Amino acid sequence: MKDVSPVALGVFLFFFLLVTVLGFAAARWRRAESLDSLDEWGLGGRGFGTFVSWFLIGGDIYTAYTFIAVPATLYAGSVVGFFAVPYTIVLYPIIFVFLPRLWSVSHRHGYVTPADFIRGRFDSRPLALAVAVTGLLATMPYIALQLVGIQVVLEVMGLGGSGSWFAKDLPLFIAFAVLAAYTYASGLRAPALIAFVKDTLIYIVILVAVIYLPTKLGGWDGIFHAATKAFDSFNADNAKDIAAGTVAGKGIVPPAAAHWAYASLALGSALALFMYPHSLTGVLASKNRSVIRRNAALLPAYSFLLGLLALLGFAAIAAGITVDNPQQSVPALFEKMFPPWFAGVAFAAIAIGALVPAAIMSIAAANLWTRNIYKAFLKPDATPAQEAKQSKLVSLLVKFGALAFVLGLPTQLAINFQLLGGVWILQTLPALVFGLYTRWFHRTALLVGWATGMVYGTWTAYQVPLPGKPGTHFGGPLSLVPFTDTKGYIALTAFALNVVVAVVLTLVFRALKLPEGTDQTSPEDYKADAGDAGVQQLPDPLEGEPANA
Amino acid sequence: MSSSPATGSTRPLWVVVGILLAVGVVVPLLVPTYATTTPELFGFPFYYWFQFLLIPVVSLLTFIAFRISENATARDREARGQRRDDEGVAR
Repeated sequence: MKDVSPVALGVFLFFFLLVTVLGFAAARWRRAESLDSLDEWGLGGRGFGTFVSWFLIGGDIYTAYTFIAVPATLYAGSVVGFFAVPYTIVLYPIIFVFLPRLWSVSHRHGYVTPADFIRGRFDSRPLALAVAVTGLLATMPYIALQLVGIQVVLEVMGLGGSGSWFAKDLPLFIAFAVLAAYTYASGLRAPALIAFVKDTLIYIVILVAVIYLPTKLGGWDGIFHAATKAFDSFNADNAKDIAAGTVAGKGIVPPAAAHWAYASLALGSALALFMYPHSLTGVLASKNRSVIRRNAALLPAYSFLLGLLALLGFAAIAAGITVDNPQQSVPALFEKMFPPWFAGVAFAAIAIGALVPAAIMSIAAANLWTRNIYKAFLKPDATPAQEAKQSKLVSLLVKFGALAFVLGLPTQLAINFQLLGGVWILQTLPALVFGLYTRWFHRTALLVGWATGMVYGTWTAYQVPLPGKPGTHFGGPLSLVPFTDTKGYIALTAFALNVVVAVVLTLVFRALKLPEGTDQTSPEDYKADAGDAGVQQLPDPLEGEPANA
Repeated sequence: MSSSPATGSTRPLWVVVGILLAVGVVVPLLVPTYATTTPELFGFPFYYWFQFLLIPVVSLLTFIAFRISENATARDREARGQRRDDEGVAR
């Protein structure tokens, strides 16, 4: 255990206190003002324009995951670690195509969650429930990943991480309690306000890191050579184990055997991202269809920074950082290379960058619960006040669930848990995205396809051991594609299986003439734009309470 | 894209949009075509600088697709007798 740098700690605590005060003060933000002023921000008004949407959607990509886990995989020599870049390239043409349709139909019918749309389109309560439950399940590890981000920073600063379990986890508990308290008090207002601090800090840190660090480490040339050298010597030392398949070879470029793994991770993650309830919230808040499409062209600016950030994993190698937990590599790099005060800023950026998405995700999950499970099944006659209370409580529960995830399981699994969440959430794509284009699929076939994908994906992921540790579970996102000897992203394999089952059973159920239910939507609903007849305003996301739904 | 008279089908425009977007999805997934270290550029192995280069290229293609889609949407809407969304086309 090393000493805590007082300057770094002081700067970190300053920012942490600042956002805590902001978080609680947010309860009053905009509330006292007239309704007119909600226009620029709220779904309830004209919706978000291009700039605010760019900011919000981009914020979903820049989480602690970006800062910690992506460079960590490169630091660890994973040959597929750079997949985050093609992932965020292929993402945007995909959302260009289907999200405007979802925007239109949601604004015609007042759908706020993906499950709302499924219910209206397929007239199937079980299918809507399946989609809602999957959203909840998949969001949990995503929140957990954010908490891991905070934990890693705390450990590098020398807080927690050793001693009794109590001393070890106390700082994380405090950070968590603060997060829970102000989202409980202020709802979505808190993260919306804190996001300004978060994004400013993160941009500064990224720009400084990718410009300043290479000058100290022999340029990008020197950084790539250092990484190559380190991986080559690792491969030479472990040649026997690598040949036996018990240890994965390291490298900076994927060998032929890993090409499909790389491509399937990129494609699977891109398809999955906008199935998450919290990312859809931001898109539905856009002013009109054009905003979504224009942003599809503008958001890749983030991908460029993301790629440079990923390369900091190699920079850590060049700087001679040696840590057992690769996730500590970038925080340790900052600590070693930056003056203490700027390291404090960087740590604060990571921790706050974790708090904001964690808050948004837990609120999105809570709304999903309240609208699509509580109100739909448990208490259809709930009053708005009861609904708001449910949302608040569940938002707390979800965060506790995430905390249990983090404390109960090894932290180096963080990225893999998030990828497991990706495995689950991708199974809702056929109902949601295919449903935007066709009602050919039978609702029960979609449900069985979903279940097949969920079971296959979870079981397959369970069987993946951690590298070099046979008998362990959930060790990675990759597994052999059945009937081949190529590894691929489990989510995508499960998705393919899901689609095959849905197609076959649709043919069967149609032949059996099973009832299909009534479609609430009509074809022109999918093309409607702001200002058209019947296009309604959705509730203000800042309210974050189903009372307005 | 200047707004052209609302005559004829917009299908060819939508086909162009589809092709532009398809490039952005398919090329990054063709890993074998770019998974090599050489030639290097500014110290970056080919694998890395090629993927960095793809970002602005795909962004540009998507932007062109956006402009064409705005034009095609406006014409589609006119053909359906709906109000033309000038605000969306203007920028």
